[in-house]
Parts: sequence; structure tokens; C-alpha cells
Amino acid sequence: MVMVLSEFLPYPLISLLAGAMVVLFAGVLEERLGQGRTKEALSVIFIALALIGCLILYKDVTSQPLGVMVLSIGAEPPLGACFEIDLLSVFMTFSVVFLGLFAVVYSFRYMEHDTRLAEYYSLLLLMMAGMVGVALAGDFFTFFIFWELMCISSYVLVAFRRELWGPIEAGFKYLTMSALGGVLIFLGMSLLYGMAGNVNFAYMSVGIDWGTAGVWAYLAFILLFLGFGIKAAIVPMHTWLPDAHPEAPSPISAMLSGIVIETGLYGLVRILFVVFLPNAVLLPRGPETFKYVVAVFSVLTMTIGNIMALLQKDIKRLLAYSSIAQVGYMLVGVASGTTYGLLGCFLHVFNHSLMKGLAFLASGAMVYRIGTRNLDEMKGLGHYMPVTTMALAISLLGLGGVPSTNGFVSKFILFGSALAPGVNMWWLTLIGVLNSAFSMAYYLPIIIRLITKPAEKSSELKEAPILMLIPMCIMAILIIVFGIYPRPVLQLADSASKALIEGLQGYISKVIP
Amino acid sequence: MLAIHVYLTAVLFLSLIGLYSMAFKRNMIRILLGLEIILNAANLSFIAFSARFTGQVDLLGQSIVVMSIVLGGCVVAIGLSMVLNAYKHYKTLDVRELRRLKW
Repeated sequence: MVMVLSEFLPYPLISLLAGAMVVLFAGVLEERLGQGRTKEALSVIFIALALIGCLILYKDVTSQPLGVMVLSIGAEPPLGACFEIDLLSVFMTFSVVFLGLFAVVYSFRYMEHDTRLAEYYSLLLLMMAGMVGVALAGDFFTFFIFWELMCISSYVLVAFRRELWGPIEAGFKYLTMSALGGVLIFLGMSLLYGMAGNVNFAYMSVGIDWGTAGVWAYLAFILLFLGFGIKAAIVPMHTWLPDAHPEAPSPISAMLSGIVIETGLYGLVRILFVVFLPNAVLLPRGPETFKYVVAVFSVLTMTIGNIMALLQKDIKRLLAYSSIAQVGYMLVGVASGTTYGLLGCFLHVFNHSLMKGLAFLASGAMVYRIGTRNLDEMKGLGHYMPVTTMALAISLLGLGGVPSTNGFVSKFILFGSALAPGVNMWWLTLIGVLNSAFSMAYYLPIIIRLITKPAEKSSELKEAPILMLIPMCIMAILIIVFGIYPRPVLQLADSASKALIEGLQGYISKVIP
Repeated sequence: MLAIHVYLTAVLFLSLIGLYSMAFKRNMIRILLGLEIILNAANLSFIAFSARFTGQVDLLGQSIVVMSIVLGGCVVAIGLSMVLNAYKHYKTLDVRELRRLKW
């Protein structure tokens, strides 16, 4: 048995968890001593360390036989909790940490007028640690603990400005719906536990007697789909998202839209492709059922997301609805069920984290200057904030899928995957492309409104602070770079999706000798 | 020992009670109670299944439940603190009053 009994957690996780503690103490100490900038500097350092840890993890995983690394804590699986790390986990970890770095740098100026900043940075690091843990988990127990860590810190972050009515309402709504999602996942997990005898992913993949499972397997799938669907904002479980994302502080909106909802999608994909789909042939009408369920929800999600986004006057609310639509596009890749489709799905997760992160950061910079989120009052803002407007325009064009941005690359792969022989869901491609074209109907008016001539001259408005501009510019450049030269990310996402489908036997045999 | 169906029926009813409470109650604290009831239904389900396989009780299911009780406590604590903020702001616990966002 090739087992690594480790005293350490995976490196990115150590760095983020330790960072959360250190930043909290440094911040509290700082408040006693007067103002300082230690906590901000420390959080950037710890996230940078996590990024380095991510690279080390990548090297470790690729050097392992079968490309899977198992770290177990306390005891060996199935009894002990374990991290089972393949390239897909590394890819998700990298996306989380990468976006987190930008969000934290941006927070320096954006959050400077708020109090309780020590808690803010600490919770942000904890939320990232939760997502990293979810991505690395090898059994449902570990998965659920980190899932709740992510959720609990994000509830507090959404309702961070507790003296305003918006965050209070949105926070409570987010909490009730998302916690319900967590509980449904837990209920579904208990059914899988009842069928398999333990909660390790690999054991669940081979240990369930699917011949007799029948209805119970479908019930477990429904519960898990509802639970992950609430977190991933799949229509009709999306209603918390358009409230929670606009009301959160902008860097948090960027994190939530950019990567937290995709973590829900990751959970769904992991369960679907490790536990359900490999055994679906044993269920009555199994493979078609799973694929068509995902396909139908994909159509619903992108269509309703786009239509609702068209009706919005609030820029952050519009972007929140556009996130729902983008999750719908990602589900196209999941519905196709092939390596190529998953490549598109995870490439779009990374690209979307850049694009939607940038869109929220840039619109946050405008809100920071003019103090309103209403699109009508943003008319002519491009003349005062040219760099921010440029960045926002690039991100919106990317979200619409214009060629030479990275959004085009991943959408091309996503919609192509549904046409592949053996998948044969041409209607999904058709609806997807139509939706993608339709979405320009609300991206372009924003750009037009920003660059039209302002009605009256105002001398008070000026460009966003430099510390906000730096992350925004880097992200805008990356969007273009990965649109013209997508190879590095494409290769990473390719090996990640291959690890999930073709590497499944290795994934299982690493735990079960 | 009772058959597993008895426990699973209880799980079903507890979940339905919890969902009803979350969907139709107006008091914010009752909504959180509904959440806690569904979580306890899931816990009961784990406990029931943990006595199913071997002759003795499976430790894994039990330890998961202990952990989930802790996590459920955290979620409800955060929820109650939000209720407190909402109460300070609106002077009511009626969730229908929180309608300025489009629910």
C-alpha cells in the first residue's frame, strides 16, 4: 500500500490557516498600538507563500506515480481523514490563491475606511483556506468540514458592513439558503454513507452495490445536486446570489463570484464523476439521466441568468446575474461528460475568475469614487477614470466571449464539446451560442454609457487609487494574454480534466490497494 | 433493535418539519430552528446507518456526527448574530419586514 502518513497538511493550506491566525493577532495588536499596515502586508505574504506552496504541490503531484498524492491524518483511509490530491485539485487551488492575491491587494485602499480590518483579512484567508481544503479533500468528511469553513467565513464577509440594511438582509438570506444547501449535502452524504459503509470518495466509487441501490442512489443524487446547486447558483436555486454578491464589499464580491460559486460546481463535478457517472450504467437509465438533468439545468441557468441581467440597473447586481449565466455555460461542459467538455469547464472556471473578478473590482473602484451603483449615474465616467473603464471594458468583452480575450477560448471549447460525436447535444450548443450573443446586449450598453460625453464637467472625480489600479491592470493584461496565448493554462486545465476521467482508476487504486 | 426503516422515516419527517419551518415561518429565529432540525435529521440518519454494517457500531459515522454538531452550532451562532443585527436595525424579528431587497 502506497500510503503517506503525513504530519503536515498540504502546503497551501498550512500557509493560509497559519496566515489567518497570524493576521488576526497582528491586527488586534496593531489596533492597540495605533494604525499600521502590518496585517495587510502579512496577508499578502501568506498568500504569496500559499502560491509558492501551490507550485511545490504541483511538482509533488506530478512526480508521484499515477499523478495522485494521498496525505492522511491520524489513521489510514477509510477511517482517517485524508487529502487526495490530483491535478484537478491543484488547478482549483491555484485559481483560488491567484484570485485571492488580487482581491487582498485591492482591499488595501477599498476597505481602509472600515473598522475591524483584522477580522476582515483573517476571514478572507480562512475563506480561501476553506476553498483550498474543499479542492484537496479526499473524503466527504474533510470535504464537509472545509466546506463549512468556507461558508461560515463567507456569511460573515457578506454581512461585514453590519450597520447598513443591505448587507444585513442579504447576509441573512445568504446564510439561510446556503446553510440549507450545506445541510442537504450532509443528508445526501449520509445516504451515500449508508450505501457504501464509509465516506471516502474512492471507496464510494467502488463500494456501493448499485444493483440494489436504485431509488436511494437517485435520492442521494438529488439531495447532493440541490445542495451543490444552491452554492453554485444553478437556477432555480440561485435566488440568494443577486442579493448577496452586490451587497458584499467589492473584493468579496469578486471572490464570491469568481471562485466560491465555482467551488460548488467543483464539488458537484467531483461527486458526479467519481461516484455517480462511472457506475451509472448499473442504474436503470443511468448515464442519460445524469447528463440530461445537468443539460436541462444548464439551459435554464444561462437563459434566466442572461434575461435577468438585462433588466438590471445596478451594475453589481447585473454582474451577479451574469455570473449565474456563466455557471450555465460551465454546466454545458459537465453535461457533455467528456474530457474535452471538462477541459472547457475548468478553463472557464479559471478564466471566469479573472474576468468576473476584474469586473467586480473595476466596478467597485467606480462605486468607491462616485458612491452609487446605479448605471445611469455612471454616464461619462470614462472621461474621469480612463484606466478603470478600460479594465472594465476588457473584462466585459471577455465575459461576452469576444475573440482575443480568454473568455472566447474557453467558450469555444465549451460549446464545441457538446457537438462531439457520442455526446450529440447540438441543441445545447445552439442555445449556448445564442445566449452568449444575447449577453452582449447588456455588456455593450455599459461600455457605451461609460464612454459617452458627460453632461456636466465635474472636477472632483479622479482616477482610482494606484493600489487598486495595479491588480486591475495585471488582471486585464492577463485576460488579453491568455486570450492570445492560452497554451499554459490550457495545458494545466487539460491535465486536470484528464486526471478526473482517465486518471480515475489511479485515483481509486491509490487508496484501495 | 429497531429496523432501519423506522429511523429513516423519522429522518424524512424531521426534514419535512424543518423545511416547512424554513419556508413558511416568519420569525427569523424559527427559520434558524428549522435549519437546525434538518441538520439533526441528517445526524440521525448518520447514526442509524452507523449501526448497520458490522455487529458493533461504526466509529466513523459517530465521529462525523460529533463534528457536524459543532459545525451546526457555528452556523446557528452566526445566524443568531445576524438576527441580532437585523433586530437592532428593524426592531422586529419578522422576516417579511426585510423586504427592501427583492426576496
